[in-house]
Amino acid sequence: MRYPRKFDVAVVGGGHAGTEAALAAARMGARTLLLTHNIETLGQMSCNPAIGGIGKGHLVKEIDALGGAMALATDAAGIHFRVLNRRKGPAVRATRAQADRTLYRQAIRERLETQNNLTLLQQSVDDLELQHGCVVGVRTQLGLRIAADCVVLTVGTFLGGQVHVGEAQHAAGRAGDPPANALAARLRELAPRTGRLKTGTPPRIDGNTVDYSRLPPQPGDTPVPVFSYLGDAGMHPRQVSCHITRTNRATHDIIRAALHRSPLYSGVIDGVGPRYCPSIEDKVVRFAERDGHQIFIEPEGLHTREIYPNGISTSLPFDTQLALVRSIAGFEQAHITRPGYAIEYDYFDPRDLQPTLAVKALPGLFFAGQINGTTGYEEAAAQGLLAGVNAALSVRGREPWWPRRDEAYLGVLVDDLITRGTSEPYRMFTSRAEYRLLLREDNADQRLTERARALGLIDDTRWAAFCAKREALDRETERLRRLWLQPGSARAQALELRTGIAIKREHSAMNLLKRPELSYADVAALDGAPALDAGLGEQLEIGAKYAGYLDRQRQEIERARHQERTLLPDDLDYSNVVGLSNEVRQKLIETRPATLGQAARVPGVTPAAISLLMVHLKKRDGLLRRSA
Amino acid sequence: MAEPDTIAAVATPPGVGGIGIVRLSGPRVPAIAQAVAGRAIAPRRAQLATFRDADGTAIDQGLALYFPAPASYTGEHVLELQGHGGPVVMDLLLARVVGLGARLARPGEFSERAFLNGKLDLAQAEAVADLIESGSRAAARAAMRSLQGEFSTRIEALSEALIALRVHIEAALDFADEDIDFLGDETLLHRSADLQARIAACLTGAEQGVLLNEGMTVVITGAPNVGKSSLINCLAGFEAAIVTDVPGTTRDVLRERIHVRGLPLHIVDTAGLQETADVVEQEGIRRAWEQIERADLILLVTDATHPAGRAPDAIQAQLPAAVPVEIVRNKIDLCDEPPGVEDNGATPVVSISAKHGTGVDLLRERLLQRMGYRHNEAGALIARRRHVSSLRQAQAHLREAHALLAARGDAGLIAEALQLAHRRLGEIVGEFTNDDLLGRIFSTFCIGK
Repeated sequence: MRYPRKFDVAVVGGGHAGTEAALAAARMGARTLLLTHNIETLGQMSCNPAIGGIGKGHLVKEIDALGGAMALATDAAGIHFRVLNRRKGPAVRATRAQADRTLYRQAIRERLETQNNLTLLQQSVDDLELQHGCVVGVRTQLGLRIAADCVVLTVGTFLGGQVHVGEAQHAAGRAGDPPANALAARLRELAPRTGRLKTGTPPRIDGNTVDYSRLPPQPGDTPVPVFSYLGDAGMHPRQVSCHITRTNRATHDIIRAALHRSPLYSGVIDGVGPRYCPSIEDKVVRFAERDGHQIFIEPEGLHTREIYPNGISTSLPFDTQLALVRSIAGFEQAHITRPGYAIEYDYFDPRDLQPTLAVKALPGLFFAGQINGTTGYEEAAAQGLLAGVNAALSVRGREPWWPRRDEAYLGVLVDDLITRGTSEPYRMFTSRAEYRLLLREDNADQRLTERARALGLIDDTRWAAFCAKREALDRETERLRRLWLQPGSARAQALELRTGIAIKREHSAMNLLKRPELSYADVAALDGAPALDAGLGEQLEIGAKYAGYLDRQRQEIERARHQERTLLPDDLDYSNVVGLSNEVRQKLIETRPATLGQAARVPGVTPAAISLLMVHLKKRDGLLRRSA
Repeated sequence: MAEPDTIAAVATPPGVGGIGIVRLSGPRVPAIAQAVAGRAIAPRRAQLATFRDADGTAIDQGLALYFPAPASYTGEHVLELQGHGGPVVMDLLLARVVGLGARLARPGEFSERAFLNGKLDLAQAEAVADLIESGSRAAARAAMRSLQGEFSTRIEALSEALIALRVHIEAALDFADEDIDFLGDETLLHRSADLQARIAACLTGAEQGVLLNEGMTVVITGAPNVGKSSLINCLAGFEAAIVTDVPGTTRDVLRERIHVRGLPLHIVDTAGLQETADVVEQEGIRRAWEQIERADLILLVTDATHPAGRAPDAIQAQLPAAVPVEIVRNKIDLCDEPPGVEDNGATPVVSISAKHGTGVDLLRERLLQRMGYRHNEAGALIARRRHVSSLRQAQAHLREAHALLAARGDAGLIAEALQLAHRRLGEIVGEFTNDDLLGRIFSTFCIGK
């Protein structure tokens, strides 16, 4: 049975990747269909109820700067906000929020339901429709055949999932969801390079059985931080505190005594889990000298008492889970509502993707989210947005777009994935970025919004707000550049009186702002009143204090730009490139990088190999031109 | 198109020759010329100038030649600084232009740019590719040789110490939520101070090494008792090795530094490569093979009186393919042959008598030729120069990091300075990726939820 409407873009999956993909494509004017197996779980936070954090918060701000939904939904659902790394410098400062799951789902669903050009349909997708080697639509569980020019797959729920709790195992998707097996089998035929990853979750606990009186509370920051450039604290629901507790020697003894029953140690699960997310049994074994590990008690929402004890992910048998939980301060009487588990699942090697997240071998198909080997809502949402944008661009026959590593964490994320692949669930860290000083939370809009406007992602409201902010910054920068301080002048004396800093030669106010001991407020008040609010003033100050470093980074980026812009032709035959060693040739064939810049980042590819490629391209160009 | 780097290299063969040329290509050439010569250099005219260091000290006096783009070999601005040769002067000039924003050229890079800028015919693509490929291979070998002994040990220790410091700083930035105080630790400042001392020691060692180790390494090898030690004595001019007629007398590797017309040459004499049960001799043979792997040139000495002496296939077959070989037929005095050179495509053969010194001049001439043929960007000297250059840049970043640490400055900036230092160090010891660093963090600290 053929579905009566044809779509430009069909997005399969209603998680964080799927919703951002569908919203982005629809914002750009593509007729978009979002298919999900359950409309009730659109925008579901399936793991811990937190958004943002270091690296991840940066991604959320970028999604926001590109007109995405995640930041605004978090502002509407966040019940506990903090800015991490506040004292460690602006580049690594990162916003993090605990979100009420229900409120978050509602915010996302409302956004989806009010988005123009977007249609929702509850159907599981079992198969892809192919024509001449191109994807032209999907087939659903009812046998509905839906035509679409591009299909974005964000079937993040564990493909071919295998759950382990102690010695027991069963096939499953995300907790409570069925595994997406029919589609997984089909995809395996079409895209052969797959791998298997594993991860785990902690047992969830009924908050009514937790003795909070014994646990130190951890309140959110005041004033309450805000995620979206368009958001404000007035959008936030009631704020609550998190709590902290710790494991102890007794906990560790219980774990050690049961190790032989852990599938991680009995050999049932053969690989290692993600390095940054060790199970509690891993921590106890690998860091045996520590007699306690911190646990964050994250509330699941305002209207549920269930809590997420972050820090005790485990696949130990249920009786051990119960014993270890009850050995922890505050949890003596705890009731486990959902046991913890480890899960193994399939992913598709992201080296088979273009930087647009299009599948190289199947025109018309895009992959985004956990299917590409990543973990985390933020990583998924960012990829979804990029895939949605490029699906819409491709439908219109427009040039593809992706941010470079120096433009966005999204650029780092995608480039890492398609260049290096991954052997553990990929998660963002700021240390993955070479240009960390440029890629800050405070300037994500300045990095991306103008480009996003040109792509059609930014509505007039956001654009007006962005322009107003930019103009205010420019105006104030100009004012401070022209504001001069002569030694001995009244202004200089006023500054010395207030800050103790003596002016020994003529300076512009902008130049003075480079000094670590002076703030925007100090400098801006030298003549009249500061024109910017605290947030914008700080941003101006960061620009001044980092100027030297940022210039250096920009020069480096400028030098590399030519390589980033040089596209490697799809039909480039690496066996014809004179001088490449077999090892380098093999790596290039495996990765088939999109640009010369990407080729240079493939592990094992040397600068000499890049020179050889450039010589080859030049010769090839010359010969093509001659024969034309 | 974005601005490319400005590249620099010594364009003349290493050694105490008459003239040494430093060549530069790229957009910063006019500014660099102005800074080094103290005035603007008029295009396409040889001009006498004093080349000065950053503090105004004269490095050398010579000719400066400036070819503005696009009418130059590479199609970019090109500058040639022709000085009085000599490794010290060339070194100082190179260091000066690197200080002014140039970087050391990779093998074949001038030709690569000429080709990419349309200055060479398309038909020359393959020749350019060959130059890049063979040059890079040689450079990699030279870099490996430069990384030996004490220098290598120090660099490794420096690199480990830097990783340990970065692990703390980066963990503090990426894992702020953990109950570990990565930065509170006062030892960070001590670690950083220790890094300053280590890199200074590395640099001192490396800079001395540039002077001591420059030149080509020639390994003299062959079957026992063919006269290897006599040859080295003859080249060196005094008794360096114990020469007797008992096979296997040279039990260890002997090194000799000689000058051929002012060009330094390292001669390595290896133990005879025979099979033996003697433990000491086995060790000598093992060391000999190590030296052979790293050589710039192998002199395979044979006995002219021996019937199979002309083609000692058994030994030659074992020699590394990448190292050029010349066969030295020794003892021609015993069979009344004249000295001479045969160089007709196959392995060249030089016939001499080390005992009487006949033909030794011919051999010296061959060695000189060999040195002239070598890629400038690929030799041991330039390898060490590259290392020194990377170390100096790393040192500047480490100083910056230390100052920020001491002032309890912005941790993001500290991390940035350390990352840059590490990248420069990576040019010597191999790349250490961001993911490698994360791996170290996870194995050092108990992190994660």
